[in-house]
Amino acid sequence: MRGRTLKLSMAVLTAALAVSLAVSLAVMTAACGEEEAAEGGEPLKIGAIVSLTGTYAGLGEPEKNVIEMEVARINEDGGVNGRPVEVIIEDDATDEAKAVAAASKLIEQDGVVAIIGATGTGQTMAPRGDVQRAGIPQVSMAGGTVITSPVDPLVFATPWSNLIVVPFTLEHIKAQGITKIGLITDSGGFGKDGQAVIAAVAPEVGVEVVSDQTFNPGDTDMTAQLTKIKNSDAEAVVFWTAGAEAAIIVKNAVDLGIDLPLFGSHGIARREFIDGAGAAAEGVKFAAGKVLIPEAYGEGTEAYTVATDFIDRYTAAYGQAPSTFAGHAYDALYLVVEAARRIDGEITPEALRDEIEATSGWVGIGGTFTFSPDDHNGMTVGDLTMYEIAGSEWTLAE
Amino acid sequence: MDELLQFLIAGLKNGSIYALVALGFTIVFAATGAINFAQGEFFMLGGMLGVFFAGLGLPLPMAAVAAIAATAAIGAVFELLAVRPIKGGDPLRIIMVTIGGSVLLRQMALHLFGPDELPLDPFTEGPSLKLLGAAVERQTLWIWALTGLAVVALALLYRRTTFGRAMRATSIQRDAARLVGVNARAMVTASFALAAALGAVAGLAVAPLTQASFHVGAGMGVKGFAAAILGGLGSPVAAVGGGLLLGLLESLTAGYIDPLYKDAVALVVLLVVLFVRPQGLFGGSGRVKM
Repeated sequence: MRGRTLKLSMAVLTAALAVSLAVSLAVMTAACGEEEAAEGGEPLKIGAIVSLTGTYAGLGEPEKNVIEMEVARINEDGGVNGRPVEVIIEDDATDEAKAVAAASKLIEQDGVVAIIGATGTGQTMAPRGDVQRAGIPQVSMAGGTVITSPVDPLVFATPWSNLIVVPFTLEHIKAQGITKIGLITDSGGFGKDGQAVIAAVAPEVGVEVVSDQTFNPGDTDMTAQLTKIKNSDAEAVVFWTAGAEAAIIVKNAVDLGIDLPLFGSHGIARREFIDGAGAAAEGVKFAAGKVLIPEAYGEGTEAYTVATDFIDRYTAAYGQAPSTFAGHAYDALYLVVEAARRIDGEITPEALRDEIEATSGWVGIGGTFTFSPDDHNGMTVGDLTMYEIAGSEWTLAE
Repeated sequence: MDELLQFLIAGLKNGSIYALVALGFTIVFAATGAINFAQGEFFMLGGMLGVFFAGLGLPLPMAAVAAIAATAAIGAVFELLAVRPIKGGDPLRIIMVTIGGSVLLRQMALHLFGPDELPLDPFTEGPSLKLLGAAVERQTLWIWALTGLAVVALALLYRRTTFGRAMRATSIQRDAARLVGVNARAMVTASFALAAALGAVAGLAVAPLTQASFHVGAGMGVKGFAAAILGGLGSPVAAVGGGLLLGLLESLTAGYIDPLYKDAVALVVLLVVLFVRPQGLFGGSGRVKM
C-alpha cells in the first residue's frame, strides 16, 4: 500500500515536472518571438475573419492565401512605417456565432487595430456589436448591400455591391431589347439582397419581372421554379446566387429546353461555375470587375499593371489563377495597410478609420476605390464590364 | 398538365436519391438498433471519390465501381474502429460515435479534396428526353435505374443468399443467430459496408447534376433520415416508399406553394405521421423486419 502511494506520487511529480517544463518552454519561445518582432518595432496587428471550413470554404481559402502572400511581401518591403504587419487569421466555419467569437478573441486577446472580414455577409454583420464597442474599423470581403447601406462609420466593403452590379446588368439586358425577365434567386443573404435590389431598380430601367422564383441554399433541383419561368412570357432568365446552385440552375434550364438568354450575378465569376455547368454554361452572361480579363482596363494602365502583377504572383505561388474573392481580400488588406502608411505618429483605430475613409482614387483589384462618409463601397459602374462564357472561358461580351 | 408532370419527374428523381440514403439508415438500424448519422457522409464520399477516381484517368464506369467499393471499405473500417469497441453495442453510444464520425469524415474530405465543388461527367451525354411535353434529363433515368437495381439486388441478397439470411437472422434475434453459428459482429460490419455502398451509389448518381462537394453530407443525412422515418424504419420497402413520397412532397410544395417552404412542409408531414402512425406509413406493426 505504501509503495503504491509512493509510485502514484512519483507519477504526479513526473507529470508536474513535464507540465512546468512545457510551460517554461512555451514562455521562452514566446519571449523569443517578441524579441525578433521588436527588431522592426512593435508589429501592427490586424485581425482577419475568413471561412476556411463550412459552405464558404471555397471563398475563404483563396482569401487566406492572398493575405498570407501579401503580408509576407509587405514585410519584405519594410512593413508599415518601419513596423512589421501581423495578420491574425481566424476561421469562422461559415457560422455567425463563430464569427462573433473570433471577433471578440481578436479584439480582447490580440488587441488588433482593424478587422478584415468576414467572407460572408452574415458573418460580417454578426460581430457588429463587438466591433462597435471596440471602435475599430472593419473591412468586409462580402457582397451584401446591407454591409454598407446604410453606411456604418466603422464598416467598409471591397466587393462590387449589388447596388452597382444590378443596374449595370439590367441596363445591358434592356439594351438587348429585352423587357420581361424571369428571376430566380436564393433565399440566403446574397440572393435575397439581389432580389430586393432588382425589384427596386427594374421599373426605373424599364424591365418587368414577370416571374419571381426563389430556392433555398443547398437545394439540388430547380426544375419546379424554372418550369414556372418557362411557362411565363419571360424573354430572359436572371439568376442571382453565388453558390454551387448556379451551375444547377443553368443545367436544369438547358435540360428543360429553356431557350432564353441567361444572365447571372458576379457571384458566378468562379472557375467552378464553368466546370460544374459544362456545356450549359455556354452563352451565359454576367457583370463583374475587369480583373477576370485585365485587358478590359486597357494595357499599360495602372489598373492593368496592378491586376496582372497580382495574378502572376498568385498563380506562381498557388498554381492557379486567383478567383475574384482573392481580389476582394487583396483590396481589404491594402486599404487598411495603405491607410496605416499615411498616418504619422501612433496608429490608433480612430485615426485608421478616418484614413480608410479618406482613401481616394486607390487602384486595387476590384476597381478604383474612392470612399466618402456616404460611400463605404467606393466603386462605380465604370469598374464593371460584361462577360460572356464561350468555349468554357470568360470572354468580353459585345 | 405539363407542369404537374414536370414536378412529378423532379419529385421522383430526388425521391429516388432519398430512398437510397434511407435504405442505408434502415440496414444499419436493423443490425444495431441505432441510427447511423454518418450515413449522409457516405453519400458525400460517393460523389467525391467518384470525381477523384475519374480524375486519375479511370473510365467513368470503373471510377464509379472504385468509388462504391472504397466507400464500402471506409464504412467497414469505420465500424471496426469506432462502433465495434463499444461494449454491449449500446445504440445510444453508437449514435454518438456516428455523429462524431460524420464530422471526422467531412473534415477529412475537406482536407483531402479541398473546399470547392467538383464536377463529374454525366453517365451518358446528350440533350434531355421529352415525355408528353415534360423534359427528363438522361441522368434522371440513370438515377431511377440505379435505385431500381439497388432495391432488386438488396432483395435478392436478403432472400436468396446465406449471407443475406444471416444478416436478417442477426437483426431479428442477435443471440439466437450467434447460437446457430452466425458471426453477428461480422454482420454488423457488413451492414455498415452495405449502407455505405448504397450511400455512395446515390452520391455518384447525383454528382453529374449537382457536383460533388465536401459539405453536402449533413443535409442529405437529414433528408434520408426523414425518408426512413416517414416510411417506417426497419423495412427496405418502407424506406423506398418514404423516400419517393418525401421527394414528391417537396417537389409539389415547391411547384404549387413556395419553394422556400418545401423543407418545412416535408418535416411537418413527417411530424404528423409520427404522431398518428409512429411506426411510419409503411412500417407495419412497428416490429423490425427485413
